[in-house]
Amino acid sequence: MTRRKLFMLLASTAVSAPALFTSQMTRAASPIEATLYKNPSCTCCEGYAQYLEKSGFKVTVKPTNDLAEISQKAGVPEDLEGCHTMFVGGYVVDGHVPVEVIRKLLADRPAIAGITLPGMPSGSPGMTGPKTGTWTVYSVTKDGRPPKVFATI
Amino acid sequence: MLLISPSALGRRQFLQAGLACAFGALSRPVLADGRPAAHAGLTATLRAGKTRVRMVGDGYPPTEVWTYNDLEPGPILRVRQGAPFRANVENGLTENTTVHWHGIRLPNAMDGVPDLTQKPIKPGERFEYAFTPPDAGTFWYHSHDDSLVQMGRGLAGAFIVEEAEPPAVDRELLWTVQDWRLTDNAQIAPGFNNRMEAEMDGRVGNTVTINGRVPDAVRVRAGERIRLRLLNAAIARIMALRFEGHRPTIVALDGQPCEPHEPTDGRIVLGPAMRADVMLDMQGEPGHSYRVVDDFYNRLAYTLVRLEYDKASPVRPHPLDAPMRLPSNPVPHPDLTTASVHEVQLQGGMMGGTGMGGGMMGMGGNAVWAINGQSMTGDGSLGMPPLFQITRGRSCILDFRNETAWWHPMHLHGHSFHVLDRDGTAVPHDIWGDTVLVRPRERVRVAFVADNPGDWMLHCHVMEHLTGGLMTIIRVT
Repeated sequence: MTRRKLFMLLASTAVSAPALFTSQMTRAASPIEATLYKNPSCTCCEGYAQYLEKSGFKVTVKPTNDLAEISQKAGVPEDLEGCHTMFVGGYVVDGHVPVEVIRKLLADRPAIAGITLPGMPSGSPGMTGPKTGTWTVYSVTKDGRPPKVFATI
Repeated sequence: MLLISPSALGRRQFLQAGLACAFGALSRPVLADGRPAAHAGLTATLRAGKTRVRMVGDGYPPTEVWTYNDLEPGPILRVRQGAPFRANVENGLTENTTVHWHGIRLPNAMDGVPDLTQKPIKPGERFEYAFTPPDAGTFWYHSHDDSLVQMGRGLAGAFIVEEAEPPAVDRELLWTVQDWRLTDNAQIAPGFNNRMEAEMDGRVGNTVTINGRVPDAVRVRAGERIRLRLLNAAIARIMALRFEGHRPTIVALDGQPCEPHEPTDGRIVLGPAMRADVMLDMQGEPGHSYRVVDDFYNRLAYTLVRLEYDKASPVRPHPLDAPMRLPSNPVPHPDLTTASVHEVQLQGGMMGGTGMGGGMMGMGGNAVWAINGQSMTGDGSLGMPPLFQITRGRSCILDFRNETAWWHPMHLHGHSFHVLDRDGTAVPHDIWGDTVLVRPRERVRVAFVADNPGDWMLHCHVMEHLTGGLMTIIRVT
């Protein structure tokens, strides 16, 4: 693949990814399919994918150097970014969000772009260490509305 | 298909010099008989400013970049070893700038670090740099003020110091490799200093150019020997180049000659700011095409460029039988028995034990990285004490201990060092450099003679790591 083709591929992936996965939610019962974009050198994201696999998800892990662009285009503000970006059921799920919060999102289907757990909180799924405080998961949109608290754990 | 042939590359290089001359920007003194007097040195004018260049291909609009003399990369500066060089730098930007002459052992006042070695050059102002490069080799120049943004938008170029007696080759090629994050319409994406990326491996882009263009092919001739000068001028991307069907021989790193050797696993690994001089004997089949692949990042390998062989029969039946070894440079050799040893702990970043939003002792503001517990952020903080002070002429060992989960190309200004060992294993092939790539959790020791008086930067050349605190100063008195 030439560099130019790669460039175009990356650009189009980021734009079309959420739309791609909307249709897959219509299938019931089978594993919930998700695509997780991660930095090629980050290992904690693999741990998070394994955690989701154990909880009935089928996660395709895609290393990328375009993570910041992908999360930004998906509606996640820079100061609320997690360390990886996942697309599931037409939503973006950024960072180490616990599975029960994702299930709530997919069940309620609110009119938002998705949810994010900023940073890499100690003890969160895929992360080592003890849980040291309350985690706040935010809902984000693409229309400029400020993020709101979606869940606290 | 975009095809950059050697002649096109050559033309471009010539064009850069030619254009500059046309505008009076580059001038070489001329002897009475009309021959350029290389030994008399080179005087250049470099004007930093904004322009638009066609970088990706004809299907996309031109990309707005920040350049020297409207060229991307900046004009190739060629000077003979030991000949005086002058550069009048004009700031046509709307913010301060400086120029750092990366890898060249020069007087401290010429090193181009704002507020440390000179006052920053304000918009509309000028500064004259003047020095005589003591070492032959592949060096480069780039902005050192707001350097994440200014280098990330293109302010960089190659600085070639020619040997008095260069090795015998058929041709020389220079690949200045840059990495850009472009939007769908081929413009440089905003969002420099993204918080998450600053804690990871920096702003790695989505478009890699050679000499300012996305290339598909370089035309070569079977049997010829090419000296390829590779310069990684990216702000974050590490490259691991494999030349399919070929056996490149590294003859110099960071401008400093080494024992000619084939790289481990055939991969030439260059972190940001690092250079390699490579001898390529073109032993492929006439009419065939071979890929140059960059496979540094896990599962993100791509073809950087193709070597496309002319159909003509080889220029010679066997590889050129000429020595590859480059003449030595006058770099002083450190005395390891009397050297003063300084530990340099690289700390912080994601998965570094502190986590995102964490902090360390001595970290403040936007600091996410530290050296020995201290963070110098931005373009350098005045008043921060040097990491250590050393008497001029003493030998010095820097003992890098990478306590982070990320790679760091560590650059020392004003000196070239000998790379001693990695995790206790001696580094073969007599490797010297000004930038050493330290792997995650690795320990690397380098040694040099602190023979150049002044305050010198020591920092990571992933630009977001630098602005995020992976920077310090050593003082030679």
